[in-house]
Amino acid sequence: MSDAVSLRLSHVQAWYGDSQALFGVGFAVRPGEVTCLVGRNGAGKTTILRAIMGLLPRQTGSIVLSGREASGMRPYERTRFGIGYCPEERAIFSSLTVEENLDLPPAVRAADMAKDEIFALFPNLRTRGRHYGDQLSGGEQQMLAIARILRTGAQTLLLDEPTEGLAPVIVRQIEHALIELKRRGYTILLVEQNLDFVLHLADRVVAIENGVVVDDLETRGGEHVKSRLLERLAL
Amino acid sequence: MMDLILGYLTIGLVNGSFYALLSLGLALIFGLLNILNMTHGVLYMMGAFAAWAGSRYLGLGYFAGLVFAPVCVAAFGVILERSLLRRTYGLDPLYGFMLTFGAAMVVQGGLQAHFGSTGLPYAAPDWLSGGLDLGFLYFPAYRLWVVAVALVICVIVWVAIAHTRLGSVLRASSENAATAEALGVGVPRVFAATFALGAALAGLAGALAAPIYQVSPLMGSDILLVVFAIIVIGGMGSIGGTIVSSYVLALIESLTQALVPQAASFIVFAFMCVVLLLRPQGLFGISVIRSHEFLAARLPWIEPADKETAPKRLTGLVPTLAAVAALSALPMLLYPVYLMKIFCFTIFAASFNFLLGFAGIMSFGQAALFGTAAYLTAHAAREWALPPEAAIGVGIAAALALGLVMGIFAIRRRGIYQAMITLAIAQMVYFVYVQASFTHGEDGIQSVPRGMLLGLIDLRNDTNVYWLSAAAMLGVLFGLRRLINSPFGMMLIAIRDNERRALSLGHNVDAYKLAAFGIAAFCAGVAGSMSAIVFQLATLSGVHWHLSGEAVLMALIGGIGTFGGPLVGAAVLVTMQHFLSPFGAWIVAIQGAVFVLCVLLFRDGLLPHALALAANLRRQDATSKTAVAPQAMEAIGR
Repeated sequence: MSDAVSLRLSHVQAWYGDSQALFGVGFAVRPGEVTCLVGRNGAGKTTILRAIMGLLPRQTGSIVLSGREASGMRPYERTRFGIGYCPEERAIFSSLTVEENLDLPPAVRAADMAKDEIFALFPNLRTRGRHYGDQLSGGEQQMLAIARILRTGAQTLLLDEPTEGLAPVIVRQIEHALIELKRRGYTILLVEQNLDFVLHLADRVVAIENGVVVDDLETRGGEHVKSRLLERLAL
Repeated sequence: MMDLILGYLTIGLVNGSFYALLSLGLALIFGLLNILNMTHGVLYMMGAFAAWAGSRYLGLGYFAGLVFAPVCVAAFGVILERSLLRRTYGLDPLYGFMLTFGAAMVVQGGLQAHFGSTGLPYAAPDWLSGGLDLGFLYFPAYRLWVVAVALVICVIVWVAIAHTRLGSVLRASSENAATAEALGVGVPRVFAATFALGAALAGLAGALAAPIYQVSPLMGSDILLVVFAIIVIGGMGSIGGTIVSSYVLALIESLTQALVPQAASFIVFAFMCVVLLLRPQGLFGISVIRSHEFLAARLPWIEPADKETAPKRLTGLVPTLAAVAALSALPMLLYPVYLMKIFCFTIFAASFNFLLGFAGIMSFGQAALFGTAAYLTAHAAREWALPPEAAIGVGIAAALALGLVMGIFAIRRRGIYQAMITLAIAQMVYFVYVQASFTHGEDGIQSVPRGMLLGLIDLRNDTNVYWLSAAAMLGVLFGLRRLINSPFGMMLIAIRDNERRALSLGHNVDAYKLAAFGIAAFCAGVAGSMSAIVFQLATLSGVHWHLSGEAVLMALIGGIGTFGGPLVGAAVLVTMQHFLSPFGAWIVAIQGAVFVLCVLLFRDGLLPHALALAANLRRQDATSKTAVAPQAMEAIGR
């Protein structure tokens, strides 16, 4: 079914060892849309992203990427569907230079972003090409982590708290980059804590609580959405 | 004298070339797959065999053989990785270690059974038969060729890893395979390719070595341990460092050979101990980015106070009487020597089981302790004419002392490194016994007198020895059990599960670990001393590292971290050896296959599997009874 979704989860359950983290999660992400996962710490947001990539030790349920059932596939096979994952811990390879980090991912789509375009989006990286991953600042690492998945030609980006723990000026840069990526038509599934930014950027918000979806709503409602979310999440 | 030294230095360069090719591959595999590849020596040996077989059966020339051998070995490596090793990823590195140990036994044992241990000749091409006379030094052409080929290959691999895209894929996957895969890197293929590369390098080394050393199934067995020591000395994370260390150590080794021949076989291991004391991360090692440590959570630990799994009451009148009755009845049914061997091996396996299962310390050098106790007890009883209790005491004390020394080095690193260190020290001990005169070399110390225990009990009577070994086994098993459930044991378990936490709570972690090592050494000593008395024999096989492997095997078969596991494991192993003896030379290969199967199928050990099965059966039994009961009531009511 090649309908108009980039990504669809149904009845996804996941476990870490004996403890269950997801209890039947289901939602869909439409192409070109920015969808935001919100919820308290430990609600299962990161686990959902990891489940989409197939990085969990044990999971069940269906994950459809670009109309193809992907559950049971290995993570590297899933990237062929134009999906890129930027983990919370950034996971920059410290033994690789910035250039090597950018050249590492195989281009899975023709639409892979050229390095010049990357440097236009993240100017800080331009002069850092020969530096090793562990010589970068936190903000630069975050930019590199996002840039790295753009190099694969991924059209659907899974971003886990891209602004966490960064200086306000860097946060603004990354927010601008995300707005630019949205403008260019990328599909984004974002985990983000800053509700104001979420409501500014996202088309839809999916609220997660205790491993299930508790709310799924469009952001066009403005202030009403915010108060409903605040109430829902008891923030 | 100078000529002699220079001559030995050329040998050093040649050996350094083999060490470099082997340690490079071993380090790549270790870095990416997190597996200490025990088959690496066998891959080297297979390279030599492939070159020999190519020339013998396919009529290949020397150069064709130099290509043919690495390709064959790489193909074998890919098959091994894809079919077996793959199944241990995500598990504790211990399992990969044991799986490759078993696989190495299969290949080496198989080839040994087929070809025997004598070397097969393999000729170098004629134009490499001359030599290069530098005036002060004569360098045989073939050796020069070996050094040149090895250096070129090593530098190519080094540059490729540091500066090509494929190299960056390898480095990225070594650092964080999951992230690399999430970025689209086909990690399974990278794993297979890396293992193939390491195997090919080992195969090339073997093919190069074939004309110098003869082609023999055992040629890789000792070089592997030297290469382990080199990797520890060089430190992980630096490919250049590994290559440099290989040559430097080979030169040191050959220099020692020229000056102090007796020390040559263990100088590398001694050097390793010094490096560990002064610079635990190795000469070129950078601070560990990714620690190759055991993750306690992945091993099937049994809870310390095993109240649920173990039989509730092991003391008291009825169980004691039952045990005595069983022990009295067994010698009537089974051959007493066979039973006594099981008892000795149970003690030995319990020593390893205690160390790994409860202290989280991986020792692959237990044979050195076992053998030391056996030799010393035999020597004390035979040459000093000490009574058995004193001879046993001497043996145990020696094992304890050696164990504490070994422990001082071993506890400086963790996990796989620990295994390598203990193995290397044990190998050093082995070489000492090979050369010492009191051990009588290959013959061993024979017809050890048993004497009168405490001047009262005549141990020449087999029944008395039988009861003595049974008492020793029960004493060790229950003693360890008591210890594990003591505050000291709890502390060990706490350190095993989270060393940093224990450290931050102010506990002297090193002292606890050393004490655990000492206790295990004591037990291994009891096993060794008892074996000297029981079999009236102490030989080199008691110190050989294969015996350390058997300790691991028994503990694994029985179930690591269980109370009765060592007994089950020892019984299985001894019975297997007993019944496989008709197969003669194939026994090593069969034992290796059993080892592999155990890792793949019964990772948790037979005992936990059996207990789980029994529990299931009981439950089914119970449910069927409750299902039947109401009908029975009705029948009666009617």
